Amino acid sequence: MRIKIEGLRLKYGGFTAIHDLDLEIGDGESVVLLGKSGCGKTSTMRCIAGLEEPTAGRITIGDTVVFDARAGINVPPNKRNVGMVFQSYAVWPHMTVFENVAYSLRLRKVPKAEMRQRVMEVLELVGLESFADRGASLLSGGQMQRVALARSLVMRPSVLLLDEPLSNLDARLRDRLRVELREIQLRLGLTTVYVTHDQMEAFALADRIALMQDGRIVQVDKPDALYNLPASAAVAHFLGVGNVLDVTDLGAGAWSLNGTGLSITSTAVAPPAGHGKIKACVRSEDVRLSVEKPAGPNVYPATVLVSGFQGASTRYAVSIDGKLQLDVLSSTRGGPRFAAGEQVWASIDPACVQLLPETVDPVGSQPAADPVAPRERVYS
Amino acid sequence: MTTVRLMWTRARRELPGSVLAVVLVFLVVLPVAFIVVAALSTEVPRPGNARIGTFTFDNFRILATSSGARSLVNSAVIGAGAALVSLVVGASLAFIAARTDAPWRRFIFIVGMAPMFLPSIVGSLAWSLLASPNTGYINIALRDLGLPITFDIYSYGGLIFVLGLYYAPYTFMLTYSSFSMVNSDLEEVAAVHGAGLGHLLRTVTLPLAVPALAGAAILSFTLAMENFPVNAILGNPANIDTLPTYIYRLMASSPVQANAAAGIAVALTATVIVATYAQQRVVNRKRFTTLTGKGNRPRPVPLRWGRWLATGFAMLYFLVSVVLPILALVATSTSGSVYISRIADVFSRGFTLERFSAAVSQADFRTSMVNSILVAVLAAVIGTAIAFSSSYVRYRTTSRLGQLLEQVSMSPLAIPQVVLGIGILWAWLTLPFPVYGTIAILVIATVAVTMPQAYRSVSASMLQLDADLESSAVILGARRFRAIRNITVPLMRTGIVSTLLLLLMLGMREMSAVLFLYTSDTRVLSILVFHSFENGSITFSAAISLVFVAIIAVIAIATQLVGIRERRFTDARV
Repeated sequence: MRIKIEGLRLKYGGFTAIHDLDLEIGDGESVVLLGKSGCGKTSTMRCIAGLEEPTAGRITIGDTVVFDARAGINVPPNKRNVGMVFQSYAVWPHMTVFENVAYSLRLRKVPKAEMRQRVMEVLELVGLESFADRGASLLSGGQMQRVALARSLVMRPSVLLLDEPLSNLDARLRDRLRVELREIQLRLGLTTVYVTHDQMEAFALADRIALMQDGRIVQVDKPDALYNLPASAAVAHFLGVGNVLDVTDLGAGAWSLNGTGLSITSTAVAPPAGHGKIKACVRSEDVRLSVEKPAGPNVYPATVLVSGFQGASTRYAVSIDGKLQLDVLSSTRGGPRFAAGEQVWASIDPACVQLLPETVDPVGSQPAADPVAPRERVYS
Repeated sequence: MTTVRLMWTRARRELPGSVLAVVLVFLVVLPVAFIVVAALSTEVPRPGNARIGTFTFDNFRILATSSGARSLVNSAVIGAGAALVSLVVGASLAFIAARTDAPWRRFIFIVGMAPMFLPSIVGSLAWSLLASPNTGYINIALRDLGLPITFDIYSYGGLIFVLGLYYAPYTFMLTYSSFSMVNSDLEEVAAVHGAGLGHLLRTVTLPLAVPALAGAAILSFTLAMENFPVNAILGNPANIDTLPTYIYRLMASSPVQANAAAGIAVALTATVIVATYAQQRVVNRKRFTTLTGKGNRPRPVPLRWGRWLATGFAMLYFLVSVVLPILALVATSTSGSVYISRIADVFSRGFTLERFSAAVSQADFRTSMVNSILVAVLAAVIGTAIAFSSSYVRYRTTSRLGQLLEQVSMSPLAIPQVVLGIGILWAWLTLPFPVYGTIAILVIATVAVTMPQAYRSVSASMLQLDADLESSAVILGARRFRAIRNITVPLMRTGIVSTLLLLLMLGMREMSAVLFLYTSDTRVLSILVFHSFENGSITFSAAISLVFVAIIAVIAIATQLVGIRERRFTDARV
């Protein structure tokens, strides 16, 4: 079902965890709240579930207003029909897998036979059908995760909330469950809100990503749009852009790198004025190192400071005249590897230099008309 | 309309906290208020007496009278002495058990805690059997041996010795963890930098334990100062008045000098509050330092030839605090000979259970036993329920009353039990509930004085439980009460059961708080022991003391077993 969040604010004493947040999530859409710990993403989710009571704002699920501070409406969590998977799984160790999953059906007094059938159905969906009678405290982390998911799915929730559900698992299992989660979400056509600090997870699971910083949504976009066109340098930095540089406009596409005496050329259009300082953002993989001096703009003589072999790639820290340090990631295959102390040339394609404001104002978001093809990026 | 609705939601959120606050007001706040009012007034609240009297400071004058001042000084001296004994004995045992290579360390650990199971009324009774100047077994034995030494337990030294002996376990428990949790990294760093072991203990280990040591000393001081039974049993024969016994005398005199008693009670409470505040500050600092410890076992200190000396010291403590007192009780209640002038007389006529069974078949004993068990069970159940609810409001809801509930629940720590008992007497006599003269008022008093232990125990267990476990049940559609019943209570069951057992043990031992609350029909075991000792029926009091100790030991062992199960349970979950 559709979720509409308007003017949501949450305060703990003097600390504001969420600042006037607006977000709309379409029916069947998967939106990921992405951000560092403490950015308010989990609090936002707990407000949707009803576990936190917001200070102000309105939350609507489907056609039901579940929270409205002004009208004094606060539907308790047990009446919201929301499914939630916790970071700690919160699987009850004193019950079997079956009892865990059947809990919500038992509360709704579903007849025994139907209960058994529905529980076994979802257990099959998550691949745990043979574990039904196992005590829940004897499961592995991945299995507990599946129990938690099955327990939320069996009640056929209007909305499924997932709070960092994969963060306690090891890397390989995480990859597999990520794919499974997305598959289940698409198959059931579930409206989901997913909270994570891991951008890979966000990219893999989201129809749209809402990026949060300091209790505000700073950008809402499709994963590829977010990756290619970050709204600000802060977003770019969060998404792992290795080089965020202070620049000043010299005109005609040339920018001076502040404090270094160097300059950089970009084909990008400078953002409109009034957005604070402008930063040039260059991904680590877009900086090329070579022995021969290449032709073209943005070529700098550099000294390799650190060379770290990472398997498929090598990560370098290079210094340009001792004035500027760049983070470089180059493919190990088919290229030379440089050792610390070597003199090289560093070059950057002007098309790879993005010019971004330092920060942007928070955005409000409209729901995607078609969840699989959400509308283009919104500036506000 | 909307504002009404808002107020309604807010009121509903504060409802459980408000109900608990009212309960705690009746248990703790109101009784204390009655004491304070009585201390500042010419009247004592009584049923049918609505007069508050006139305001006066005269009640504190009693502190300036010679008997008042003497009991104040006596209490301070005895408290300080007992604190010193408790500190030296308890900390030494803790150090030996935690950090040395002395043999039988596991047993020394048990020795350090064992005297907890002896109520101080029983300990002091047993020591008066052992070391009263004329008829004490130890003095008889010394005379047998022709040694010209006599121990007199009815003296300052005796009081300090017995109080120190029975509060040493508190020091032991507080310091044991800080000795064994000392971050061995810190010590290893010092060792790497060339510090010798002796130097290391002086410069690293001891300073780290100082907060725990200071906290333990202050705690022993307060406990010894407010203790009634030891001060009464060993102090009265020597006319050594202390604050608790002086209060008791004022309350038992006729006419009752209640306002004066209240004045002394306020003075005693003030002292205890200051000491408790100091103790909390010191112990809080300690928590700060031990949190860095990872609990990996530090290197044991080699004692060489002193190893056996250390173990010998522990055995001596065990002998003096547990073995000799129990033997004295056994000898007194089962020896065939009644008059003993030489140790051999104890054995000369063999042993008989006759007097023992005569004692335990007395109606007095059976009534008291039933009363004790009834009071302890009811107080444990009610106390656990209140403590659970308060911790829940404090840690699982957004109610603004949570912190207040916590503070009030913990406040009886700073109120001497005798004082709280008098306050409850006055408060509940005045309230229009006919509880005086019934078991109910004993239960109320026991719940009130054990509330801090109950709250601490339950909330520790609740804090260990992830709140999301219950939240997920609510999200799945369970009402809050249902979720608590289905999820939180079952998952906390070991914590709840051990709290129940702890309260059961404390309730069985309770004496000071119920001192003014019982009637002839509602006497409990501890009071019966005290009375029969006062009346000179020594055999009888020794016999029921033995039964008393046996009951408490059973509860204590059950508590330990639950503790072991809990550890296994959490291990299985990890």
